[in-house]
Amino acid sequence: MKRPLTRRHWLTTLGSALAGVMSLALARKAKAAVQKVLASAPAPKGYDPAKHRWLMQIDVDRCIGCGLCVEACKTENHVPPEPTYFRTWVERYIVKKPKPGSDTPRGEVVVDSPNGGMHFSSALVPREEIMRSFFVPKLCNLCEHSPCSQVCPVGATFETPDGVVLVDPKYCIGCGFCVQACPYGCRFLNPITHTAEKCTLCYHRITRGLRPACVEVCPGEARIFGDLKNPVANDPIQRFIATKRVMALKPYLGTGPRVLYAGLDEEVR
Amino acid sequence: MNDCPNPDSPAAAAGQGPARRGFRLPAQLVRLVLLTVGIVVSYLAARYVLTPVSFGQYGWYRGNALAEIAAREPVYAGKAACDECHSEVLEKIAKGEHQTVSCESCHGVSRAHAEDPDVKPVKLTGSHCIRCHEANPSRPAWFHQIKVREHYGERCTDCHKPHQPNEVP
Repeated sequence: MKRPLTRRHWLTTLGSALAGVMSLALARKAKAAVQKVLASAPAPKGYDPAKHRWLMQIDVDRCIGCGLCVEACKTENHVPPEPTYFRTWVERYIVKKPKPGSDTPRGEVVVDSPNGGMHFSSALVPREEIMRSFFVPKLCNLCEHSPCSQVCPVGATFETPDGVVLVDPKYCIGCGFCVQACPYGCRFLNPITHTAEKCTLCYHRITRGLRPACVEVCPGEARIFGDLKNPVANDPIQRFIATKRVMALKPYLGTGPRVLYAGLDEEVR
Repeated sequence: MNDCPNPDSPAAAAGQGPARRGFRLPAQLVRLVLLTVGIVVSYLAARYVLTPVSFGQYGWYRGNALAEIAAREPVYAGKAACDECHSEVLEKIAKGEHQTVSCESCHGVSRAHAEDPDVKPVKLTGSHCIRCHEANPSRPAWFHQIKVREHYGERCTDCHKPHQPNEVP
């Protein structure tokens, strides 16, 4: 501050500050233009996330455990083939008969999902020991207050306006916090890209007017999919919630799971 | 502060009286403020340039990610694509018990065939029937199941029509 502040000095400072701000804005515009060019493929035209609200519902009584959904999900989304990575899977619950003389109404509960339930064998427990048994398809529960998004330190996973929880693979740093945070075990770290991966509700399909791959191949209509903001005639998701007694998984955690199940049992977590 | 005049301060250099001293910040404080402002401004400028343009479009994430994830090409063609050419088969299926089954559940991924009819769809085997209809105590009771070893016949299609399962042999 040795020199006295002259008008020239002030004008020079102000001018260079203005030039700096303007070059910043230009740099941002140039960056947006480059990003637009580098984008691999254009997104489906005319899709507005604000005008949709997607929802999946599961009818446990309709699931026959064929595993077609698991296989279709892997094919559609190029999920690594190793038997530990699944975006959707089917669990088999077997409630055994109580041991003779015991005072419990039901016996041991056996749960398995070999290779995600892609091909269930028929004999895990002898038929005469089974009290009852059923299949439960599992997928991302599309939480309204998703713990996975809350713990992400870089904003790489988020709830979209149309009700899907997605992972931005370019932003994900692969820390695995979200894998631990998900109470439904719906996430994994991709061994090739080292980023978190999960069910996207086949976002690339639903934005084109197609159904998710698992819903497409399900032969028994155990998976019901629809858009809450654009109900169709005799809407399947409205019919489901009107005619079934429904339940979400682990509602006590306050995650606000939006995937509703009909025919759930006490053993299912 | 009044007792030790700062030789660097403009007031001292100009040789002004003590009356104007109270209006001047000490030079080291001015430098500190300028340095702080400089750091904050350069941080804001760097954040402005480095943050993706679409960040914050819908929330605390990159809005462009939605379009990028949606840009992937679908693999399964979907029932509607089959309906464009094979509507007579789909009408048949819609009357029978297989009405809820999609074409690609049994026929496999048929997108190549849907885009170019000259590409033959995947050939089928009888294992497709067994995958669902093999008896399993975990399957719901309403669902038709057979014990393959005790069931009559060599091939399912010798007796059953997959597109019209209601037609009894």
